[in-house]
Amino acid sequence: MTAPILEVRGLSAGYGPLRVLHDLDLTVEAGERVGIVGLNGHGKSTLFRAIAGLTDWQSGSVCIRGAEVGGSRSQGPGRHTHRIVRKGLALMPQGDAIFPGLTVREHLDAGAYTSLAWRERARRRDRILEIFPPLARLMDTPVGRLSGGERRMVSLGRGLMAESALLLVDEPSLGLAPKISKAVVEALMKIDLQDGAMLIAEQNLTLLEGRVTRLLGMHAGRLKGGGSVVLPGRHVGGGA
Amino acid sequence: MADLPFVALSAITLAAIYGLLAIGISIIWSSLGMINMAHGFTFALSGYGAWLAAQYLSDAGPMVLAGGIVAGALSGVLICAVSFLPLHDKPNFVVRSMIATLAISLIGSQCLLWAFGPRVKALPKVFGEGTVEFGEVVFTADKVGAIATSAVVLLLTLFWMTRSRRGLEIRAMMQNPEGAALVGIGVRKTALWVMAVTGGLAGLAAVLLSQTFFVSPGSGLQPLVKGLIVALCGGLGSIRGALIAALLIGITEAATATYLGGQYVLMTQFGLIIAVLLARPRGIGGLLDETRE
Amino acid sequence: MTWRNPQIGKARPPGSRPFQSIGRRRWWPHPGWEGRRLFPRWRYPLTRRNVLWTEGEYNPKNLAREIRVIDKRPLVWAVGLVLLAVAPFATEDGTILSAASVFAIYAAINLVWMLVIGTAGIMSLATMAVVGAAAYGTAYLSITYEWPWWSLLPAGAVIGLLFGIVIAIPAIRLEGFYYALLTLGLAELCRVYVIQSRLFGSATGGLYGADTHIPDDWSDTGQLRFAYYCAFALMLAALGLYRAVNGQRLGRLLRAAPEKNEAFAEAIGIDYRRARIQVFLISSAALGLIGGFYAAHFKGASPSLFSMDQLLLMLAMIVIGGLGRAEGAVVGTLVVVVIDKVLVDWGPVRLILIGAIMLASVLFTRAGLFGIKTQFRAWREKKKSERRAKRQEKGGEVVPEEATEIADKQEIYRRRFDKQIRDYLKTLVTDEVVEEHRAKPLGQHSEALDRLLNYFRRGPMADKYAVYAERPFESYRIVALSGQRGVPPRLVNDRTYPSLEEAYHAVFLLRVNDLMES
Repeated sequence: MTAPILEVRGLSAGYGPLRVLHDLDLTVEAGERVGIVGLNGHGKSTLFRAIAGLTDWQSGSVCIRGAEVGGSRSQGPGRHTHRIVRKGLALMPQGDAIFPGLTVREHLDAGAYTSLAWRERARRRDRILEIFPPLARLMDTPVGRLSGGERRMVSLGRGLMAESALLLVDEPSLGLAPKISKAVVEALMKIDLQDGAMLIAEQNLTLLEGRVTRLLGMHAGRLKGGGSVVLPGRHVGGGA
Repeated sequence: MADLPFVALSAITLAAIYGLLAIGISIIWSSLGMINMAHGFTFALSGYGAWLAAQYLSDAGPMVLAGGIVAGALSGVLICAVSFLPLHDKPNFVVRSMIATLAISLIGSQCLLWAFGPRVKALPKVFGEGTVEFGEVVFTADKVGAIATSAVVLLLTLFWMTRSRRGLEIRAMMQNPEGAALVGIGVRKTALWVMAVTGGLAGLAAVLLSQTFFVSPGSGLQPLVKGLIVALCGGLGSIRGALIAALLIGITEAATATYLGGQYVLMTQFGLIIAVLLARPRGIGGLLDETRE
Repeated sequence: MTWRNPQIGKARPPGSRPFQSIGRRRWWPHPGWEGRRLFPRWRYPLTRRNVLWTEGEYNPKNLAREIRVIDKRPLVWAVGLVLLAVAPFATEDGTILSAASVFAIYAAINLVWMLVIGTAGIMSLATMAVVGAAAYGTAYLSITYEWPWWSLLPAGAVIGLLFGIVIAIPAIRLEGFYYALLTLGLAELCRVYVIQSRLFGSATGGLYGADTHIPDDWSDTGQLRFAYYCAFALMLAALGLYRAVNGQRLGRLLRAAPEKNEAFAEAIGIDYRRARIQVFLISSAALGLIGGFYAAHFKGASPSLFSMDQLLLMLAMIVIGGLGRAEGAVVGTLVVVVIDKVLVDWGPVRLILIGAIMLASVLFTRAGLFGIKTQFRAWREKKKSERRAKRQEKGGEVVPEEATEIADKQEIYRRRFDKQIRDYLKTLVTDEVVEEHRAKPLGQHSEALDRLLNYFRRGPMADKYAVYAERPFESYRIVALSGQRGVPPRLVNDRTYPSLEEAYHAVFLLRVNDLMES
């Protein structure tokens, strides 16, 4: 049996004395699309940032494709992120993390960080344009001038260029009009995962319902729900 | 006035040299967030590097230039290792790194003094002694050579910054360090590259300027101040602004030196800078493109 | 005198916690106090300001009154200043005595500079430019127009003020580093000008011959000592100015509006622009006065005042000591002047040493020498929280913060014991045991299974699994008891079990699952 794409055990993360994630366990297998639903401030972004090494976490373990991704304990958050990313992770963060002065083409090129990806970047760019057609006529515009939806597409496209095994998408519909967010999420769902996996954090449950393999709820830093959807009035079996 | 071509030529030469320094300082500030006060030390060290190359390797022009550039790049890497790498994610990074670079420049210039002695050294003429005739005007080879070399190197550097992967990484890091980390761009490795390249530019400037002035341990101070004020005037972080400002400062210096006298050079330059900064507090380029702040 | 912890034994308002709150215990000496008043407070005469911040305590154990000094820094300062005051009589060496005066003057400059750079947060590197300009101006006045030494001080202050107005104008428009670099260039400009200007002694390398307050007819040592005491008085005045600005209203206004965070201060009505201009003018005037003193002390001025080396040294002094504390300025100046002037024989090595100390203090400390204590405490807190996070598990040991909230302390030990039992039971769970239970839920069991079942059956009623006979002998379900009177049990899952044995086994599996997860 191949190692799961992502395995998180007992992850505890926080900022100083404040603990945001409490003893989190999460396993994502190849080919899965997992949705994490929860309100703002309950730790979805912190979970993603902790996996990517952008936030300090204090205890537990994170394994991507079986390889342990060490905790950046006293080192300083973000110091090892680029190494973690090269192990097969692509994080599309909340707020897009775009480069305001670079054009769309340069963004997509920046996403192709392995030498293989860089060599075939033209082909991969065309693939991204198939997924997000509106970007085709914006290839030479600085991203700082684009609208929110277009920026979101650039950020997602950039993350897809390296064909990473694990995609972490943080709130794809944040700040977007309903029609555009639906289009963005549609595009995400159409991506062929092959041997990879996708983890989507969303506030809007209806966007993900029925389209993801698994749906988890995040509340106060703890993940709930394992096989079925948590709806009010019903209890999930097993835990006491 | 018959002096005009001469003034123009001196102006462009000076502009080229100051531009090399100022662009280095600008790039370091916008990509690393660090004010590199040790750039003057890099300048002085490169002068000595070129001198050593001339003494022990060969007298030829390209070798001296190479010696200066390599010494400058090495010095840049050293500064990065001491003042950027340990501090870049610690609190109060900007002030601390500036003070660290000042400390490096203090230690460095004393070490140079100790190693090479206080007497100035002369560099061999890189471009030969020839002259170029252009109608009635005579241009000396070193000025023409300086302008040509700086232009070529600057163009190469800008080409490299815009086309290559490494250049793209540097530009990405300039604009969003967290986003850069998310696409596999390591801040520390890219920082070394940035410092090496800007150090090399400063090294080239040192060799070119040493055609007129001598190499001494304290020779980095004036170019540092000039480079800083050009970068300031052009807006920290803007390459185009730095080039325009370099041109303005170069013209001011050449014009003042010829028509008013050498001792008023700094004063007129200062006057220009204060005027520019009062009109545009972020420098010329501050509104041209997106700066880090 | 006893060593006491400030919390224990203190009189407390009723209803508050009787024990010490969480944290490391601090032990401090409490000298005995023979006197009738429990809370003696000495005041400076004619003021309402207390000399020391003290609290009197009554030690119930040995029935003595004890006094506790809460803020010990004035004592440290007093000792330090007294030492500095008597220092000149410890040596006759001319180098050391002249270095001492230099120390005092530089300390005064740094204290005033700290007002601008630390309190106001304006990165201004123009200090030496102002001092130099005032020194040159007053020296020139003294030499050319024969002004007496006591007029040089106010004259210097005026020159400094004018210069300060000139530098304050860009400060309003420019921010942060732009301003720092501009002032740097300004210092360089002054130096170049002064070197080339015949008016200001380019031929002689500076101006010499100003009137001085040091009497000529004293012995060399006497002169040096007198010079030192005058400089010391200047330093005390600078200290006083620092306290008056930093510790009073203006300082508080400035600290509330640091660079880039002025919006908040402005929103609550602080006119930070006016405060900054005020501090600029005050510090420029003070620096000018020091410049005048400099001219009187050294009988002239030289271009080395404007050199970059000098500026670097001054920067090293405040960096080593730490920005923001007056102790930092004085101690940093002491360190650098000692290395620079007293160890002259070491040659260029001493500047390398100063640079190395500056580098070390900037690389390893956040706020210089006097910030080390806070930094160390913050680091220790971080390590503690990391260890605490590691220790916390589901239902594991009780964390100290929780422990103070629990009324019955036996609960803590009960939980610990429970955890130990569970850890042991986890090792007993094997496939054979589960199989054994499946085959024979009731009846005699092996020891391992017995222990497990005993533990499960002993559990608390709340959330305890039970079997609900829906239709006896036909279908059974698993429910969880609520543990509360009147509240019905809840269904755990939708499965039904055709026989009681299967239901028992299912309950066992659920309980084992819970055990393994905890």
